[in-house]
Amino acid sequence: MKDLSTVNVDRGRIPLSEQIYLGPIVRGLAVTLRHFMRNLFGHKDVATIEYPEVKRQYSERLRGRHILTTRDDGSLRCVACYMCATACPAQCIRIVAEENPGAPVSAEKRPKIYEIDLLHCVFCGFCVDACPEEAIIMSRQHEMAFSNRAEAVVGIEDLRQKGPIDQEDLGYRPYF
Amino acid sequence: MRQPDGSSTFLTTRVETMLRWVRKNSLWPLPFGTACCAIEFMSVVSSHYDLARFGAEVVRFSPRQADLMIVAGTITDKMAPALKRIYDQMAEPKYVISMGACACTGGFYRAYHVVQGIDELIPVDVYVPGCPPTPEALMHGILKLQEMIQNGETHHDRLKNRNDDAAAIAG
Amino acid sequence: MTASRTETMTLPQSQADLLPKEGITSVELGEDGHTVLTVEREHLVDVLRSLKETPGLDCDFLADICGVDYPQRDTRFDVVYHLGSLEHGHRFRVKVPVAEDDATLPSAYGIWKAADWFEREAYDMFGIRFDGHPDLKRILTHEAFHGHALRKDYVPSQRWLLTEENLMTPKWATEKRANDDHMDTQVLNLGPSHPATHGTLRTIARLDGEYITEAECEIGYLHRCFEKMCETHGWQQVIPYTDRLNYCSSMINGVGYALTVENLIGIEAPPRAQAIRVILSEFSRIMDHAVCLGANLVDLGALTNFWYFFQIREEIYGLLESCAGGRLTVSYARIGGLEHDVPLDFEEHVRSLLASIPKFINDVDKLVTTNKIFRDRTENVGTISAEDALAWGWTGPCLRASGIPYDVRKAHPYLGYDQYDFDVPIATTGDTYARYLVRMEEMRQSLHIIEQAIDTLPPGPVITDDHHVALPPKEKVYTEMESLIWHFKLIFDGIKVPPGEAYGFTEGANGELGYYIVSDGTGRPYRIKVRPPCFAIYQAFPHMLEGTLIPDAIAILGSLNIIAGELDR
Repeated sequence: MKDLSTVNVDRGRIPLSEQIYLGPIVRGLAVTLRHFMRNLFGHKDVATIEYPEVKRQYSERLRGRHILTTRDDGSLRCVACYMCATACPAQCIRIVAEENPGAPVSAEKRPKIYEIDLLHCVFCGFCVDACPEEAIIMSRQHEMAFSNRAEAVVGIEDLRQKGPIDQEDLGYRPYF
Repeated sequence: MRQPDGSSTFLTTRVETMLRWVRKNSLWPLPFGTACCAIEFMSVVSSHYDLARFGAEVVRFSPRQADLMIVAGTITDKMAPALKRIYDQMAEPKYVISMGACACTGGFYRAYHVVQGIDELIPVDVYVPGCPPTPEALMHGILKLQEMIQNGETHHDRLKNRNDDAAAIAG
Repeated sequence: MTASRTETMTLPQSQADLLPKEGITSVELGEDGHTVLTVEREHLVDVLRSLKETPGLDCDFLADICGVDYPQRDTRFDVVYHLGSLEHGHRFRVKVPVAEDDATLPSAYGIWKAADWFEREAYDMFGIRFDGHPDLKRILTHEAFHGHALRKDYVPSQRWLLTEENLMTPKWATEKRANDDHMDTQVLNLGPSHPATHGTLRTIARLDGEYITEAECEIGYLHRCFEKMCETHGWQQVIPYTDRLNYCSSMINGVGYALTVENLIGIEAPPRAQAIRVILSEFSRIMDHAVCLGANLVDLGALTNFWYFFQIREEIYGLLESCAGGRLTVSYARIGGLEHDVPLDFEEHVRSLLASIPKFINDVDKLVTTNKIFRDRTENVGTISAEDALAWGWTGPCLRASGIPYDVRKAHPYLGYDQYDFDVPIATTGDTYARYLVRMEEMRQSLHIIEQAIDTLPPGPVITDDHHVALPPKEKVYTEMESLIWHFKLIFDGIKVPPGEAYGFTEGANGELGYYIVSDGTGRPYRIKVRPPCFAIYQAFPHMLEGTLIPDAIAILGSLNIIAGELDR
């Protein structure tokens, strides 16, 4: 412990000016009063977000619910390679692969079942990092609530992208 | 409250609707916070998200004074008896929100000391996914619970209907 | 940078001659700069004592005790002690092999009090007994638990259910005492679910009127089996688990873990990644102190400060979310660097935070620092002397509040902390008020570090280009066969960390956060032991309580900043 630059924060004994309570308390009240006034007339310090009417600006990388992306012809980009399921620390992805007849060699497999248990998922984004096809990405849709556990296991139809990709609320994905 | 044929009288229906409206707008939460989710719960009650806007700001740590239990965080086998005891101490009607992956299913802790979902121990009304869920997600869960209370879909209502039915059959 | 850090820990030759002659079967230099001693069980106490008491060695700090299981060996277990000297900076790793059928060691409690709970943990997890330990019983798991969970033959998902009949009660709480019928004497149970115990801590106290005469703490209510889970996951997959150790400052945990593994592999993160790690770690430290002080003040009845401090947190969450995509559990660090580069407006965002955070700190400062009510509640409350704090293995702000200026960032610089100009705040009184003052000043110092780091933020990549460690860039994965194969191998086989072991430590928000990792060369960690700063701090808590008032106990507990995720893992 040599040549350490330290700063001593001891305040020693209470000085007389602080002994008599009043000064520090008035100063403290001034702080809270200032916040109160600024909130009352000018809304300068109001931090509250009026959710659900108003939503804050979410990050482009927010890790929300997953999306399975599709090709131009509407078929899933997923080739059922199991990389996401392997990388998932929560083991919440279940894939059953099947042959994709008549497809080119690069997409000869496709998922018959692709399920994510959203209640096991920890939204770490490892599946997105692991995917070599950009077939699974994350949206910014993070407000979810379920009334039973079975409801939270979502399959291909729930996860598939709904329209053109730029109309989805895109979150964590390889490029942003 | 219900007639033997399953219908209800006009008056009791009105009273019931009003009671539900009152209950849903004055949920007093008991945060059973153990881990990371408890920190997000703190966010929900502090200035940015301000749970007071939904009438649920009176955070009570006494089970006797609360009607909504928010289980925020991992429940371990060691904690399980405490959770069960506190739930039992709450007065009816009582509701449970399971916040976050650990409370819902054990999350990615498939391990020797972690309860694999609190529904092993107590009935759950709303499951909120996320690890931890964002404050918005929890508020969404609370709003969903309010809706369920209004529509009479909570565990409490199911239990009550069952008891009423049993009483009607017996009586 | 790594090299200089190793040098600061290595034992100079002149001091190596001071090592005791008897009982040490081998002396090696570890890859992490630790001097590794293998010691015979019969001579363990003598060796430990001479390491502590020989002038020139002066190992006054016991960082950690843990077990490692090697089922295929004759002597099945290694018990590993990590020691250090704050004065000289050198570090020791003392290993004692013991056989399964005679897994008994003499206790080190008589040498360092810090051994207390660490030995209990080794007993709980491996079944190693320590002769002479004052109260050897399970600590993290519960009374109805069978077997020892971190032994390699224990199935990770094997659970044992606890019922209320088996709840732990200390022996002294059930004993009949002479004055028990007296109305003023009673046993009080605080927690595990109690607002003042911050989640999951439990204290059982014997009261004499308002005063606590005896206390015992029970932990493990949030034991999530972190270490066992690490052994069932790949090296990279451990990162999300580290986030949930000290969840108030998750970035620091991930960085500490990544640094330790990088040390074992022998790589270093690019300079830009290091600078970003520093910036986000320091922001996390501010966040952690904010929630600690905020909660502490709430327990003392000052609610407004909590809201001001939470505004700091919310603003920092915004920054973390813009970089990592998560608010609390960021999963941003990776072995070899960071997941992604920061967004384009990062610098601007950091500067706006640097401007806004001091306002909230100043507001709280004005509200409470000079307030006599607050000073009366906290001064001379929970006082601990420097010697005691060190003997219990304290580190971080709590130790510095007792006057010992030990800060890993200064003593063993990592991530280029030696290039930044900052002061280590210390106080001398060692009470709750001192801990408050130290944390307040540390937040300001952290801002100062961030200011310098953002000014000198170098350009360049944020993750190493070593394809044995880091996933190749996505555009290459989509187009090049070779990159796709690397990607495939890393996902399915994981990072192959060379066989070996390392103890890496960084300055967490509560003190020295250590990771002791053992690799056997496969894609999964063989053993990861976390040295949580809270664990050492909290074991002194029941002893600090003796003779205090119940309301003071709450004030002390808040000022120690015990985070259950890290305490119980």
